[in-house]
Amino acid sequence: MEANVSFFLNGKKVSVKAPPAKSLLRVLREDLGITSVKPGCEAGECGACSVLLDGQVVTSCLVMISQVEGKSVITVEGLEKDGELDPLQKAFVEEGATQCGYCTPGFIISAKALLNENPNPTDEEILEGVSGNICRCGAYPRIYNAIKKVVKKDGV
Amino acid sequence: MAYEKVEVYSPRSLAEALELLSQKREAVKPVAGGTDIMVMLKDGVLKEKELLNLSFIPELSYIKESENRVLIGATTKYREIRRSPLINAYSPILIEAIRQIGSPQIQNLGTIGGNLGTASPAGDSIPPLYILNSRVKLQKLGSSREVQIDKFFLGPRKTVKESDELITEISIEKMDPGSYYFFEKLGLRSANAISIVSAAAILSLENNTVKYLRLSLGAVAPTVIRAVEAEELAKDKELNEELIDRIAKLAAESTKPITDIRGTAEYRKKATYGIIYEALYKIMKGYGKKVEYGFENTS
Repeated sequence: MEANVSFFLNGKKVSVKAPPAKSLLRVLREDLGITSVKPGCEAGECGACSVLLDGQVVTSCLVMISQVEGKSVITVEGLEKDGELDPLQKAFVEEGATQCGYCTPGFIISAKALLNENPNPTDEEILEGVSGNICRCGAYPRIYNAIKKVVKKDGV
Repeated sequence: MAYEKVEVYSPRSLAEALELLSQKREAVKPVAGGTDIMVMLKDGVLKEKELLNLSFIPELSYIKESENRVLIGATTKYREIRRSPLINAYSPILIEAIRQIGSPQIQNLGTIGGNLGTASPAGDSIPPLYILNSRVKLQKLGSSREVQIDKFFLGPRKTVKESDELITEISIEKMDPGSYYFFEKLGLRSANAISIVSAAAILSLENNTVKYLRLSLGAVAPTVIRAVEAEELAKDKELNEELIDRIAKLAAESTKPITDIRGTAEYRKKATYGIIYEALYKIMKGYGKKVEYGFENTS
């Protein structure tokens, strides 16, 4: 069983031929070479495969490719502008907010979704914003510091 | 992989979806957000070989108001319910429960109709729906019916919905202004944890006397249940520690929990007592949440 699906990936229109119930996660990794999205639990619990779907953070393991027709998908590959990293990406580097790195793209996407909607979140809102992401190395304090750094820069 | 053998239909209107369901001999599984179905598909436990993708039927996603009810389209996402000024104002207990569902990722995908269709006894939107006297609208080609929420579920993952029917709308009551409410759940982590025990209640008080109590419990029986004996006991009584103790005891006795990886039956009974006692105690001491019919605080 195969279906043709077209959508916008990091701003560019792409078309793929894939089984219609295949997950967006697997299509991104296996058919489109986007490997920042990580298969962790593939059950929506770890957040390592998070992407922005029409601007909202979702776990791409739980999205059927058939549901993506005509929509916009943003992964960390799409965050940089003109060769410049996004302020969140820079902050993660500067704060060393990564150990093995497996959870990092998902955390950055969740934080991005939060800050797009709410540029000046409270601590509680930051914690809720990334509550769907797990870091098994335990880099949480540094991840928090990195997000906080961007909030402070842009915040009023 | 299991997904390679699955066909997906993506109708663009409700009429088209109902037409398709009417023509199928074998059951086609409707997919709203997909947060349960995709896991079943990955685990190889999905029976159906054909899926009905409801993502492209905008007419199934809405929140509107009738005289004393709020009507929610079946594929309305948790995210939209949480941000709805109507539901925040009139039926905030549903917001209280939905805040505690999954994570931002899950709330951006999951839908209220999907939570009903999955019919898990631990579905967190369901206890509030019981005490909001909700009705589930089921539509098939040429006809529709409304089912009271407590008649909708037959057991774990079993409902009265026929395979040619779709859940299209959930209607909920507006809560009485000034009434208190809570939704409490116990899980292993605050995000993405399946409830071990959950409880939802609406309490109407007049001069510290209970006008009515509505109390429902999740994850402690084959379906969500109303603690009817506890509700009857509370009526017209003064809210004090003795009454709270008796309500919580009666509610715990009304459960029929199982032992599973998340907790033992005995733990679930004790925890039912504990969360109800604590939540009612807070209300008695003046720390309870109250329905204000205000339109300011959408979270």
